[in-house]
Amino acid sequence: MSIPVRLSAHQPRGRIPDDPNARDVPPCRSLVASLAVEAREVRKRFGPVTALDGLTVTINAGEIYGLLGPNGSGKTTFIRTLAGLVRPDSGALTVLGASPRAAVAAGVIGYMTQTAALYGELSVDENLRFFAALEGVREADARIIEALRQVDLLDRRASAVNTLSGGMRSRVSLAATLLHQPRLLLLDEPTVGIDPSLRREFWEHFRSLASAGVTLLVSSHVMDEATRCDRLGLIRAGRLLAEGTSDELVARAGAQDLEAAFIALSAAAA
Amino acid sequence: MNAKRVGAVARRIVLQFRHDRRSLGLLFVAPVIVLTLVGALWGSSATSTVRVVSVGDVDPQLYESLRGTNIELSALDRDAGLEALRTGRADAMIEFRENSANVTVEGSDPTRTSQIIGQVEAALTHLILDVPLTAFVKVSYLYGGPDYSLLDYLAPVLIAVFAYFFIFILSTVSFLRERTSGTLERLLASPLTRGELVTGYLAGFAIFALLQALVILAFTVFVLKVQYRGNLATIFVVEAVLVVGAVSLGLAISAFARNELQAVQFVPLILVPQIFLSGLLVPVDQLNDVLHALSTVMPLTYANEALRSVMVKGYALTDPLILRDIGILAAFAVLMAGAAVGSIHREVA
Repeated sequence: MSIPVRLSAHQPRGRIPDDPNARDVPPCRSLVASLAVEAREVRKRFGPVTALDGLTVTINAGEIYGLLGPNGSGKTTFIRTLAGLVRPDSGALTVLGASPRAAVAAGVIGYMTQTAALYGELSVDENLRFFAALEGVREADARIIEALRQVDLLDRRASAVNTLSGGMRSRVSLAATLLHQPRLLLLDEPTVGIDPSLRREFWEHFRSLASAGVTLLVSSHVMDEATRCDRLGLIRAGRLLAEGTSDELVARAGAQDLEAAFIALSAAAA
Repeated sequence: MNAKRVGAVARRIVLQFRHDRRSLGLLFVAPVIVLTLVGALWGSSATSTVRVVSVGDVDPQLYESLRGTNIELSALDRDAGLEALRTGRADAMIEFRENSANVTVEGSDPTRTSQIIGQVEAALTHLILDVPLTAFVKVSYLYGGPDYSLLDYLAPVLIAVFAYFFIFILSTVSFLRERTSGTLERLLASPLTRGELVTGYLAGFAIFALLQALVILAFTVFVLKVQYRGNLATIFVVEAVLVVGAVSLGLAISAFARNELQAVQFVPLILVPQIFLSGLLVPVDQLNDVLHALSTVMPLTYANEALRSVMVKGYALTDPLILRDIGILAAFAVLMAGAAVGSIHREVA
């Protein structure tokens, strides 16, 4: 089984209109076109828990940025902040030159949640048709076929989601995220519960999307996946401990591999 | 508000129902089964016979005077009479003294007791006056009539309660699933606004809620043959506004439950006080001040008032009372829809 790579199919959308109802923190003072995400000193508390503690991250357009950290480090909160689901308490945040909510409203963000967010009673096609309608996708039929071909599930188009395996559901979830050709993909631990061969195919597909100009933010705590990212951000307790390519981080920590580097850098920051 | 996105949410709900045949079936079959049972229970206008035991010899004149009434008289000695009362073979025992009559009843069921005492007292009055009761008591009816059964009186309330009950549970659990399965998170990370989501849900559920309301109304009127005076369309309009409010209440309440078990526990908490205080068991104007005040904030109270006014008294849609009740029900639906929108905000922000 393989996922055919179709670069020409993905044509990310254009400029984000201003959203008068934007409810996020003010955007950064100026935007460099090459930045897909710019977060500065972003803080978020949930009651007594500090989820983001002055997180500063910049992600370049067209790169695969890996957000690495243990469970509870703030990865999902940061992704939810970028998806317009969480409003930071303070800090500045810009997504593709706009506030997160404006970017979401413009349909330029694709968000794949940790667990496949699909309607089990509905067929794959009905699920995708629904998400396509929400995103205002034109020629939905063609896009659905295209997205299903990309995740190698075209033959299961009429199957009820409930009848699919966990891995297949993840693929449908990814297809739903790709339908509207977003410019920024937020993938929250997309390969959890996925077998190794499918995981490799997912990453091949992520790389093809990045080649087509799409920016990907992928959270993970699996170190061997991290080496596939262009740049990595090591996050712990809501703070960025270190940032750079996999090789840079290993060299900086004087470690043998990324896992050892992560442990060493975490210990140094503690 | 984007109509296409609202339509997409509504269409999805319709599709989910279509795939879930059992829920769809229950939506229509469950109220029909419950109504059938209620119809069998309360549908008869006949009053039950009261079995009276007289201690000692019975004056033949007494038998004669009770002819044609629903009192069945027999003579036993005192011990046998008491035994008949204890074992449920008699409802009352009369001991005639010189200037009085002692009546003994079983007494554990207050409703049955007052019914028995009322009938025995009427019969004894009948006996003392030595004229038929109908000779000096003439009854006229403003509404209803001699053929009116308890079901005819309760039907308007039952229509409201059942239409409200089933769709409230469905919308609560359905929206709760949206919250707990992660799909709500996914939806809110799309251009869909919270207002569009709630409107789409209202539209999708309203289709089934209205169909269910129609089935309940048709079954009540055409199968149970409940007597009604007003226009059927007016009855349906009141029902329609009520069930849309039930959907929006369900969406709002789902915010307070973390799982389906909790959602089901909300059903008695939200519905039972409304059912008790809206006029099904005790007329609203006979409630004490605190309960009366509570009943005024419950939508079922207004639905029952409107439906009873239309069905029993024949009020028209344009009657100020009906318009006021429909207005209050519509305001409640809008208020709860707003609360539902607000509850989504609280969860994700």
